[in-house]
Amino acid sequence: MTNVITKMELLDLIARHAREVLPGLDGRQIVSSDRLVDLGANSVDRAEIAMLVQESLGLSVSRVELFGPKNIGELADLFLEKLNAA
Amino acid sequence: MPPELVVTGMGVISAIGQGKAAFAAALLDGKAAFDVMRRPGRQRESAYIGAEIREMAFAPGVARQTLRAASLSSQAALVVLQEAWIEARLFDVDPRRVGLIVGGSNVQQRELTQIHESYRDRSAFLRPTYALSFMDSDLCGFCTAQFGIRGLAYTVGGASASGQLAIIQAAQAALADQVDVCVALGALMDLSYWECHSLRAIGAMGSDRYAGEPALACRPFDRDHDGFIFGESCGAVVIESLESSERRGVKPYAILRGWGVSMDGNRSPEPSLEGETRAIQSALGAALAPPAQIDYVNPHGTGSIVGDETELKALRACGLADAYLNATKSLIGHGLSAAGTVEVIATLLQAQAGQLHPTRNLENPIDPTLNWVRSKSIDHPIENALTLSMGFGGINTALCWQRCHLYE
Repeated sequence: MTNVITKMELLDLIARHAREVLPGLDGRQIVSSDRLVDLGANSVDRAEIAMLVQESLGLSVSRVELFGPKNIGELADLFLEKLNAA
Repeated sequence: MPPELVVTGMGVISAIGQGKAAFAAALLDGKAAFDVMRRPGRQRESAYIGAEIREMAFAPGVARQTLRAASLSSQAALVVLQEAWIEARLFDVDPRRVGLIVGGSNVQQRELTQIHESYRDRSAFLRPTYALSFMDSDLCGFCTAQFGIRGLAYTVGGASASGQLAIIQAAQAALADQVDVCVALGALMDLSYWECHSLRAIGAMGSDRYAGEPALACRPFDRDHDGFIFGESCGAVVIESLESSERRGVKPYAILRGWGVSMDGNRSPEPSLEGETRAIQSALGAALAPPAQIDYVNPHGTGSIVGDETELKALRACGLADAYLNATKSLIGHGLSAAGTVEVIATLLQAQAGQLHPTRNLENPIDPTLNWVRSKSIDHPIENALTLSMGFGGINTALCWQRCHLYE
């Protein structure tokens, strides 16, 4: 079975949840090279955004693996990889 | 001589109004807002009556991010602290010399229930922020972050006496010179249907005899009372020494002359005439106030059959039968953790107005010989007032207040 979600859709999903947790981002463009921390997300905000994405995808990723990605693009790649493995 | 403690700022929200001006006007008008409660998580095969806050207005500067992560109790704390903060000009106090005491425990039950139900079958996706929000001390973290408080902040719990206990603890922190200014917060108790079920089952919350007439259900001290009716509220009271208030030129509302706390040595919700009497007498003793000086009592008065009766006996036993009496809960309901703080605010606003608010639904007082303010507000300049709270677990608290003539 193939997953229909594209990397672009995943980036949109992450951006949507980042805006939900950080309403101050309204209007600011979010790109794959952005780091959540540079968008103003503290450690709790980052955990919250990652969990909201997992909830939307119905996919659970371990905390340890979430430490890896350095920016939103890499986070999207991690989720894509997990979705494809699932 | 210990320093004289005064109240220099207050903030309040309830179902009948946000802010002191709206709240005082509603009280003196005898307004109430009881209905079948509608907030999500309040009902389950039930139709509990209560008074819910319909809207909350936030200061323009509050970030949406702040509000998104804030529970109902935190949001209410934010608006009342903001009001008290500005009035007492706390921006001019060294933040390391400001403290916050939050009165109440287990106050966010409804939101916790909502989270538990939502994630019951998908716990892997539980929001990480639950780790912060399940503790009441999150209110301390939230408020100290918002207002830059650097002195001290912690919660105190005493069931329905929590709001008064917070004031007492704030007074003690100021007296001990731990801080110059200490804010007492009576936290908004956010009940879920679980607490409503159990409070009714134990006989504390009023029955459904007024199911079809919510406006008649809340009737402290009336012969047809049969339990308390819940009402959402939250209040903040700024306590400091007179000397500290003078440094900023802030006008005090009143002097906190003394207080008393007593335990009944009894876990059950049953009140104790002996315990209540002891709390009142110790407050009067600490205040060096003979009972005849007290011209107004703001009683606990929940509408509980045995609670109302015991409280009036205690007032008589303490020589307070001549003081004016009304019941703030008849208008706003029982705020539980918030009640003691919000009723102090009601008392000091009545003193400021020179008027006493009516007591709704007091058609046949269980003791008609007392000096009740019944269906209409009356003019009365409060000189010395007593405010009372009692809580499950056998705790009784009493605060003695004196009008401050200094700046009149």
